Amino acid sequence: MSLERVTRRLAGLWLVLVLACAAHNLWHWGFAHRAPVTDMLAMLPRDEQRPVAAQATQALADAGSRRVSVLIGGGDWGAAQAAADAFLQALGDVPARHRVGDADQQRWLDLYAPVRQGLMTSQARERLTTASTATLADQALATLHQPVAGPRVGSWAEDPLGLFGQWLAERGQGSRVRVQDGRLMLTDGSDPGCHFALVLIELPGSGFEIGAVRALMPRLDAATRAAEARGATVLQAGVPLFAAAASDQAEREIHTIGLGSLLGIVALTLMAFRSLRPRLLVMLSMAVGLLVATSVTLLCFGELHLVTLVFGVSLLGVAENYGTNYFSARQGLPPVERWTMLARQIPVVSLAMATTVIGYAMLALPPFPGLRQVAVFSATGLVAAFVTVLWWFPLLDGQGRMAPTRFAEWLGSRRARWPSLGARGLTLLGLGTLLLAAAGASRLRVDDDIRQLQSAPPALVAQQREFARLMQAPGVAQFFVVQGETEQALLEHEEALTARLRAMGLGVQAVSDWLPSLRRQREDQALAARRMTELQPVIEERLGQPVSLGRGAAGELTPRAWLDSPASEPMRAQWLGWLGDGPASAVLLRGAESRETRDALAALRLPGVSWVDKVGEVSDLLGRYRVLMIAVLLLGHALTWAALAWRFGRTSWRALAPTALASVLTVALLALSGQVLQLFHILPLLILLGLGVDYGIFMLEQPGRRETRPFLSVTLAAASTLLSFGLLALSGTPALRAFGLTLLFGVFLAWCLTPFFVPDHD
Amino acid sequence: MKRRLALNGLVGLVGVAAAQAPLRLAMAATSATTAAATAPDLAQAVRERLQQPEWLRGEFTQTKKVAGFAKPLLSRGEFVLARGRGVLWRTVKPFASELRLTRDEIRATQGGQTSMRLEASREPVVRVINSLMFSLLNGDVGGLTELFELSGTVKGAGWQLSLTPKPGALRQVLKQAELEGDAFVRRIQLHEANGDESLIQLLNLRPDAAPEPGLFQ
Repeated sequence: MSLERVTRRLAGLWLVLVLACAAHNLWHWGFAHRAPVTDMLAMLPRDEQRPVAAQATQALADAGSRRVSVLIGGGDWGAAQAAADAFLQALGDVPARHRVGDADQQRWLDLYAPVRQGLMTSQARERLTTASTATLADQALATLHQPVAGPRVGSWAEDPLGLFGQWLAERGQGSRVRVQDGRLMLTDGSDPGCHFALVLIELPGSGFEIGAVRALMPRLDAATRAAEARGATVLQAGVPLFAAAASDQAEREIHTIGLGSLLGIVALTLMAFRSLRPRLLVMLSMAVGLLVATSVTLLCFGELHLVTLVFGVSLLGVAENYGTNYFSARQGLPPVERWTMLARQIPVVSLAMATTVIGYAMLALPPFPGLRQVAVFSATGLVAAFVTVLWWFPLLDGQGRMAPTRFAEWLGSRRARWPSLGARGLTLLGLGTLLLAAAGASRLRVDDDIRQLQSAPPALVAQQREFARLMQAPGVAQFFVVQGETEQALLEHEEALTARLRAMGLGVQAVSDWLPSLRRQREDQALAARRMTELQPVIEERLGQPVSLGRGAAGELTPRAWLDSPASEPMRAQWLGWLGDGPASAVLLRGAESRETRDALAALRLPGVSWVDKVGEVSDLLGRYRVLMIAVLLLGHALTWAALAWRFGRTSWRALAPTALASVLTVALLALSGQVLQLFHILPLLILLGLGVDYGIFMLEQPGRRETRPFLSVTLAAASTLLSFGLLALSGTPALRAFGLTLLFGVFLAWCLTPFFVPDHD
Repeated sequence: MKRRLALNGLVGLVGVAAAQAPLRLAMAATSATTAAATAPDLAQAVRERLQQPEWLRGEFTQTKKVAGFAKPLLSRGEFVLARGRGVLWRTVKPFASELRLTRDEIRATQGGQTSMRLEASREPVVRVINSLMFSLLNGDVGGLTELFELSGTVKGAGWQLSLTPKPGALRQVLKQAELEGDAFVRRIQLHEANGDESLIQLLNLRPDAAPEPGLFQ
């Protein structure tokens, strides 16, 4: 059977398969409404995954994801109030909270006053346990006579030591925000004359719905201008602002980088082929690759991770080479000759494909489910794109002769400008690379911290930082998850933990501070009752009259009652509900920023307590992926060499060496240009290996300096890659920039070096 | 978050309540023959009569009627008032204790031990309490006008002010206050919202007292 008939049959079969994949995709995303998995830690090895930690992180993140907080003022309180009024007026009907009514304050007392006998601060507990009755009497009587007696709720006789007032005051210390004149007020801790009005805006809808954020932004800007017109400083903070900035940036970059890239590639195709058909077909091959890869990955793993999608799609970029190579070879040939051309090209392109797939398959070796997904995705995608080129292109490339354009001829003939380097030239090149590599190594800096990848506008980050300083709110990136078999066990575990943390001098925000365990409530009630009985005669004697001390109601506060009260609202986000095998809560910290503190916290071993450091874990994960990727890269080079040797024998190194040199030089240049290296610099080196070796293979297949097609193919492929991936170097998103920069250096160097290594046959 | 904030307001409010508790003055209605002056004039008239030295020392007696106690609670001691620095309130009888209000904090001590401390940097209401205490003891009409509606009378060298809290947190703990004096404040009477009443009399006032800046460091 002729190649043509075989191809036609296979093309039909392939069409059926591709349509099946399309249907599968449509069903999965469209009808089953499944979405890619986004939790980075799902990329960890299974036995290291902690679903409870992941759910806790999610729950905490969701709680704050819809709030924008605004501080207005920066001077005296009167001016801050006036500016806040202007702000709120300009904000219009956006629901915002700023004023606090008496009813809001009363809710606290409604919840806690009936159970006040069981509530005391740890200092008070300590004092009641150790102090003599005479000392306690002194303190009680002093507050009776002094003009200012510290916080007190109710009458003196009810609570002569002011235990409940102190407990409430300690709760209040958890936040720097106060109510003044019926408004939320914040005073700069380091400048008592600097006051701000606090406005809280809660967005409708859920999570990252960008529509609601978009609708808010103009209002927020107008309100900010109105407040600033009154001389006030306005500080905004909140997840929605970052979401808005990110989506703005993405949109801007799609408009500039994306459009520039598209125009460049279209212009290049038109100049080289005088037709858009080659470009459309190359895009078709990559689309088919994406479609098949998604289906196969879903079938293998049951889900698709967002990281797989991002990495996989970029790895698929190598498929560009196959389509471009087809059209470079096809150019200038009458349609009937395409089959002989194809027969000649199949082994070459197959080798090019195989070397790349080998590299990608290496990704499946480490025990990381994430990398395995990427391996399956990119390898199948690449094969599918390759098959599309092989089986569909001959049927779709039109009946024209595809006469070579003058641009294509000129470009192909540039090949002759490159001399073939002899032993001396190659040695010099190697020495030069070595020197640069040494220089680069001396400047090499590696940092896997995920925060390196943050790309928010500096002004927004600065506002957020100042806001955090003023509010002194606890962080949610690192925290403890506490679990127990019952709610009471959970609260007792929490109390043990918070005692330890406070002893370490850390600021703690925990549910059990607001909802003590029943055991603690009962112990405290008993302690207070005993000391009151002892105090009574002493106080009566000192006052010279009878008085009845502290015989108020002694109810108990249960989790149910607490959760049902509006007063628990600010802490409810930390009550995580049922997680895994039992109820769970989150304990947040202030002042745990230093590495040493975090290490000490991670080393804490208490029943039911586990440390969650999302930033640390993701950074750690990125670091491990980076190291693995380097190993995969080295192994990939070795295996690629073996595959090349099978076809090219002793000259095989000539196909690999340019890419290997380009990789080394790229890392050196990145280091010298001051880039801090991380995973997103290393990953593209694997793509570079796939791309660059293809250049070597195509050139070595037809090594003559007068041969224009291989060089045309390689140059067009390299230019398309630079226009698509390389332009990402202009992105404001650090991960994309790292990716783009690496490919920009690497692809250019590999393209530039390859002809030097082709042996001279003329 | 909001309710947590609300709580802080509550704490602040309780603090203000505490500040009010002691000051009280059983003030007889002033003579009907004295003409009631309008507010600006009244403020000016009181200001003209007051001496308001940089440093003022004196003694106090306090009579406090508290719900649940059959007999009034008596205490006495001495005080120091230093403009721009603070107030020192030293109770001597029935037992020794000290209260110091400065720009940045309120601190109560007993036998050299701090028994209570509120910092302005953490609780902004501390400044309000301190300014209130100072204004009441010093008769600072400007400071009082910020918190109260004033009415009253002047007669000869003497004056009397009736203070009604403006709407807000203060009104929830203090119903009414009365001040009486001449070149100095002599009597302060407080009617708290919960029914407690305090009368404070200031005696043996010494405006020529030597400054002791160390007291308010």
